[in-house]
Amino acid sequence: MGKAVLIVDDDPDIILYVSTILEKIGCHTSGAKNGEEAMNKIKQNRPDLIILDVVMPLLSGVKLYRDLKVSEKFKSIPIIILSGISKQTFLDSQEALSEFTDQPIPEPSAYVEKPPEPEQFTKIVQRFVQ
Amino acid sequence: MDPEKPRKILVVEDDSDMLLGLKKLLTKEGYEVETSGDGIQASELVRKNFYSIVLLDLKLPGIDGFEVLKLIKETRPDSEVIIITGHGNLDTAIQALKLNASDFITKPFMKEAILIALQRANEKIAIKKKLKEYTETLEIKVQAAIVEIVRRQEFERRLIQSSIDGIVGSDGEGKIVIYNEAAEDIFGFPPAEVLQKININALYPAPIAEKIQRDLAGQIAPDKPLGWKEITISNRQGEEIPVRFSGNIIRSNGGTIGSVGFFHDLRQVKKLEQELIRSERQAAIGQTMASIAHYIKNILSGLQGGIYVANTALEKNDMDRFKAGWEMLQKNTNRITTLVKDLLNYSRARDPEYRMASVNEIVQEVQNLIEPRAREYNIKLTRNLDPNLPPISLDPQGIHNALLNLVSNALDACISGRERDDLEVKITTAQSNKSLIIEVSDNGAGMDEEVKKQLFTSFFSTKKGKGTGLGLLTTHKIIQEHRGTIAVKSEKGKGSTFIIELPKAEKAMNKGGQYGKSGSDRR
Repeated sequence: MGKAVLIVDDDPDIILYVSTILEKIGCHTSGAKNGEEAMNKIKQNRPDLIILDVVMPLLSGVKLYRDLKVSEKFKSIPIIILSGISKQTFLDSQEALSEFTDQPIPEPSAYVEKPPEPEQFTKIVQRFVQ
Repeated sequence: MDPEKPRKILVVEDDSDMLLGLKKLLTKEGYEVETSGDGIQASELVRKNFYSIVLLDLKLPGIDGFEVLKLIKETRPDSEVIIITGHGNLDTAIQALKLNASDFITKPFMKEAILIALQRANEKIAIKKKLKEYTETLEIKVQAAIVEIVRRQEFERRLIQSSIDGIVGSDGEGKIVIYNEAAEDIFGFPPAEVLQKININALYPAPIAEKIQRDLAGQIAPDKPLGWKEITISNRQGEEIPVRFSGNIIRSNGGTIGSVGFFHDLRQVKKLEQELIRSERQAAIGQTMASIAHYIKNILSGLQGGIYVANTALEKNDMDRFKAGWEMLQKNTNRITTLVKDLLNYSRARDPEYRMASVNEIVQEVQNLIEPRAREYNIKLTRNLDPNLPPISLDPQGIHNALLNLVSNALDACISGRERDDLEVKITTAQSNKSLIIEVSDNGAGMDEEVKKQLFTSFFSTKKGKGTGLGLLTTHKIIQEHRGTIAVKSEKGKGSTFIIELPKAEKAMNKGGQYGKSGSDRR
């Protein structure tokens, strides 16, 4: 049975691109175009893996990541960040948000800068969907 | 005894009966009385003692009474001398008064006459005493005032010297009389070569020196002081030095007595300014590079994704997915085209062409251009133009582009706004005393604070790949070139209003006819 992967990105092209890559290795993919929509989908149907963009309207990836990682229910879901911004910028923005919560936030399971390279990206995803 | 009354009195009289009578009377009046019957003895007494008052008979054995009077006035100028003369010797009396006798009484005299004469002498003594005291106090005061003036002069001299601004003062002819250390730093001439030696013409830039000289000479009605302005002076070494200058003519009692100039050295400030501009420019270039790289990276993602999706679809013979991949390729190719166009548009080295033009006509043109698209989306496009708007000097093409950009943005905001049927974009023109006001408002999507903050930064766009984020930046640049301002009011979900203010007073850069006549060749 294929694993469920949620791809969160405001660019529908990226969702199409990434789902094409992931369907090749038998994943069931769905997409969400912002953090809010993603949160609703996660609550309805818990995915096995989340591919998350950082810069998005409404609920940004930075905030969604934090919300998931402080949630008892969802913090075990692995998250791969797929973003145009660098990993350091992402970590810095998490740091800035940490004022609002006491808990330390774990680093993402993997960090991939856009554009994803299909072969390499497949390998990274496979670590979490075996 | 009255303390004001002089204690000692000398009576000089050769008639011994009268002498005795006078002594009696004066003693009774409270005086310490000494008497003498002849001039020689009297002279001796006057040399030895001081008498406040001397009663002196002019007809004396031995020496003449006038000699005694002269002696008293020479040796004891503070003694008052009352002359005793025979009846009818008025000439003698007058002569005595000329020799500074204070009064005279005539024989045979009455007690009252003596007392009045004494009283007058006493008053004279009191006045003299007061005058003396007053003179002495005055001397002390003058002395103190001189000390104070010297102290103040020294203070002012040091004040001028210690000023960090260069101060140069001239007399009424323009000759330099004040030249402080800071002025020396700026101009480079040692004070010895300047003070009392040269004229302000040798130091100041010609136009300023001429103006000051004119004002000093009072040939024309002197106008306001020369307010602070930035000028460049050239110093002794011929170096150009930027300074902030302010000057004034010094007037006193309606006349001009000199001039003063203040020079604030701007070398350090200019250096820092340049460094700041350089570092800001570098930061801006770095930021722009990063933004462009990021933007291109996104397009690259789309292109790579499109190829990958299309290839995968071909393998599976999945035509729907192939179409999706192909569309990705098309869309991202368009994004590159738009990016390049906007970049060129922004960086295009086109000199604005200023001429007198009507803002209302430009608004109408923009409206005509946008109208079809507005109708397509069922958005009402209205205008409310002030018919009395004066033509102002502007770059018609620049303003056209700026307005077109704002109006298309407003339309986009309506299109991406909520589903409603009363969507409207409104263009308003108005005027205040100093400026023309153009407002473009919509009741579309509106913006939150986050978006508003990033509005005029490059590559910020909310249009999901359709915009590069350079449009508002370009608009901003155009309005800035017109020395105008652009402001925005917006509320998420309610709409936005962009307000442009263009100054009326900007002078035309070049001549030209009314805008609109040659407007058709613009594209």
